[in-house]
Amino acid sequence: MMKTNRREFLKDSSAVSLGAFPSLICRGTSAAEDPRSSHEGKILVVIQMSGGNDGINTVVPFADEGYAQYRSKLRLPTERLLKLNDSVALHPSMRAAADLIEDGRLAIVQGVGYPNPSRSHDTSMAIWHSAEIGDEDTLRFHGWLGTAMDAMQQSSQERGNSDPDMVLLGDESQPLAIQSRRSTAVTLSNLTDLRLSHPIPRSTDQAAAAPPSESGNSLDRFVAQTMRDATDTASGLEHSISEMTHLATTGGASYPSTMLGNRMQTISTLIKSGFSTPVYYAIQSGYDTHSAQLPTHSRLLREFSDAIKAFLNDLDSSELSDQVCVLGFSEFGRRVAENGSGGTDHGTAGPVFVASRQIRPGLIGSMPSLQDLSGGDLRMNVDFRSVYHEVTTNWLGVRNVSTLSPSQIPLNLFQV
Amino acid sequence: MTSPGSGKHWRPYQMVASTPLSLHRVHHLHRRAGFGANWSELQRDMEAGPDATVDRILGVAELVKSFDVDDSNAEPKVLTTSATDFDSLQQLIGDAAVSSGDINRLKAWWFYRILYSGDPLTERMTLMWHNHFATSNLKVANVAMMKRQNDLLRRHAMGKFGDLLRAVVKDAAMMAWLDAKANRKGKPNENLARELMELFTLGVGHYSETDVKEVARALTGWTVRGGDFEQVAAYHDDGTKQVLGEQGDFDGDDVLAILLKQKPLARRIAVRLCEAFFGEDVITDDALGELASGLRERDLDIGWAVETILRSEAFFADDNIGNRVLDPIQFMVGPLRSLEMLDPPPSTLLLVEWSTKLGQDLFYPPNVFGWPGGRSWLTTRTMIGRANFVSTLCRGDLHRPARPLGIEALALKHGYSSEATQANFASELLFGHQGQAGNVEMMLRSTAAHLG
Repeated sequence: MMKTNRREFLKDSSAVSLGAFPSLICRGTSAAEDPRSSHEGKILVVIQMSGGNDGINTVVPFADEGYAQYRSKLRLPTERLLKLNDSVALHPSMRAAADLIEDGRLAIVQGVGYPNPSRSHDTSMAIWHSAEIGDEDTLRFHGWLGTAMDAMQQSSQERGNSDPDMVLLGDESQPLAIQSRRSTAVTLSNLTDLRLSHPIPRSTDQAAAAPPSESGNSLDRFVAQTMRDATDTASGLEHSISEMTHLATTGGASYPSTMLGNRMQTISTLIKSGFSTPVYYAIQSGYDTHSAQLPTHSRLLREFSDAIKAFLNDLDSSELSDQVCVLGFSEFGRRVAENGSGGTDHGTAGPVFVASRQIRPGLIGSMPSLQDLSGGDLRMNVDFRSVYHEVTTNWLGVRNVSTLSPSQIPLNLFQV
Repeated sequence: MTSPGSGKHWRPYQMVASTPLSLHRVHHLHRRAGFGANWSELQRDMEAGPDATVDRILGVAELVKSFDVDDSNAEPKVLTTSATDFDSLQQLIGDAAVSSGDINRLKAWWFYRILYSGDPLTERMTLMWHNHFATSNLKVANVAMMKRQNDLLRRHAMGKFGDLLRAVVKDAAMMAWLDAKANRKGKPNENLARELMELFTLGVGHYSETDVKEVARALTGWTVRGGDFEQVAAYHDDGTKQVLGEQGDFDGDDVLAILLKQKPLARRIAVRLCEAFFGEDVITDDALGELASGLRERDLDIGWAVETILRSEAFFADDNIGNRVLDPIQFMVGPLRSLEMLDPPPSTLLLVEWSTKLGQDLFYPPNVFGWPGGRSWLTTRTMIGRANFVSTLCRGDLHRPARPLGIEALALKHGYSSEATQANFASELLFGHQGQAGNVEMMLRSTAAHLG
């Protein structure tokens, strides 16, 4: 059904030939020479689950005796859980995530944390953002993604690439993770940032599109080319957005109408539009569930799972999903024992989600025991920097990122 | 005033038959040394000639500098009424921004200065130093500190580089930005030490990793207390250090003195200035070298170098006109000034929003390197943003209430009544020459509108 709709759309769009569709919106000729924009380059989309996700009620160790022992009000009924094996199951509202595991597109790394964990939102987030462990006063200036992009900056500059290295989708200020020494990061609130409010009159358009005169110097040609590319992108996005709207109303690539869903849809549009940006970042807030956790947590996990599934399906239909990997993390898990307000307080280790067509799917690592705690908190099994290390080297292909220790035990997140 | 350079690369521009003072050149001078000019200003300076015009541009900078620097309590006797009005208004706006704690209002204050200052050259230079000593409020998170740094950059913008450097590295915002507060004996923090050498003075390749470590040790004890610089002896490592071949129990001031003596520094300043005043492929390596040695001979006098540049043949050469990508603020402010859209004033808060969209978020440079500038200003996103800005400007939506551009009325005011002469008027006003086609909106969206 979706394919038919796409064909109908394409038929209406006289400028477009069917075979060229995925690159239809690619900007100009220079973009085609860029390996990233022709979609050979890998793209990483990070979703930050802000506030400290209760990992125990996300990937539930239902067979662990400690679960019933510590969670009397917050214990999720076993029969409603989405079982992954005979001891661990997903939260019932994570149907979409369970589907992704089933068809091999989602891995969950269990018990991820770092030594001597801080339970401060700021400090712990800064640690996750910078991949540098230390106290509050420790210098943290560059983020792990910024550092990774710096390491690949050379080639980006050589290509004369003008798209940002990192894009934050949303209204939030840029997280430390994407701060860097020399790479570029921009925030896009929405796609209107990329749409022409008043189309350029045809005559000007033609003047801009005309082959540069022989007398024109390289700077004139550069400006004209950039303008032409921008105009192409703007009109391409018009097509893309109308297609998206069309498909959404007819059951195609439909996204949940949540904030995260909208952001993931915008990221997908940018990727499909030929943006060469390798890193996208989106923030989902609200995980700081100190009281009445059940309904809030359920809504958040559904929003998270549904958005990722819709995103991957959408890119699948454009044959771009082989290039995209989604990473979901939170700054810490929550305390094992529930508190007196139907909620949980700040804890330690938690699950990290990695979704991609190229992933080694299913559970990775083991769930920390609820009966061998450290001060009432889970003991971590996997250092988060091992996840970063694999994502930067094996996915983004960036070598020698000094802040990430290569000595970690390999998780083999990706299928070779 | 020191006489400008007379070396072979910086010959003063002479008004001779082969290079007449055309509107093109006056227009160019105003774009590069300021943020553009209106028709009356262009006509006035066509009459006055290049020497007198550069005199006036530099003279204003000198006036403002003298009343700004020497004694903050002195009556600004030498300034005109309008300049004093400007000064008291900008003070009011700046103080209100600081007490609101809203950084956007501080950005709007700077826009106000850029739009209305009688000394646009100093604003240009302040912007240049903001880029050189790039400090972001993202980390500083303090409007008062950001304003203080900005005032400091302005005060020293055209003075001796040594004064500027010494003031900036002890500035509270800079100390916060580069973690100087956390730099303690035994646990040195190298952030300030590294950027001091890599970015502020010498550049990569002119110091070693050992120098970075040793300079960090020397800088221990510098900290900020109650928003002010302070040197705490207890935190200072008073052992012997080896910095760039010199040995001693150096502290931060010693290090600055050592850095200010280094030969590569003058060249780095020369490069910065040439980036600010020249387009692509104009300044040769030899010319840079000559400017750098001139700077060294004159105790790194920035004002001398700027004057040398603005009076030079190279500055007015045809291949230096229209060959530089305008930064977003120039792109935005230029038409507002030329088209006389300043009275009633445009919304400076809207200008703040636009400059952010176009990639130049004041007080938030992207990283320690500042904005890379040049071609990197133009990306898909910013090109679309620029086109949309032009639409907004022409429809009058930068003004509240909306005040659409009336180019016919403006042309009439200056004596151009027919449609054809009005189009030529717009082209000359915006580009310094005839021949740009279409209405003002089309002109401002054309390739040429991004270059100046």
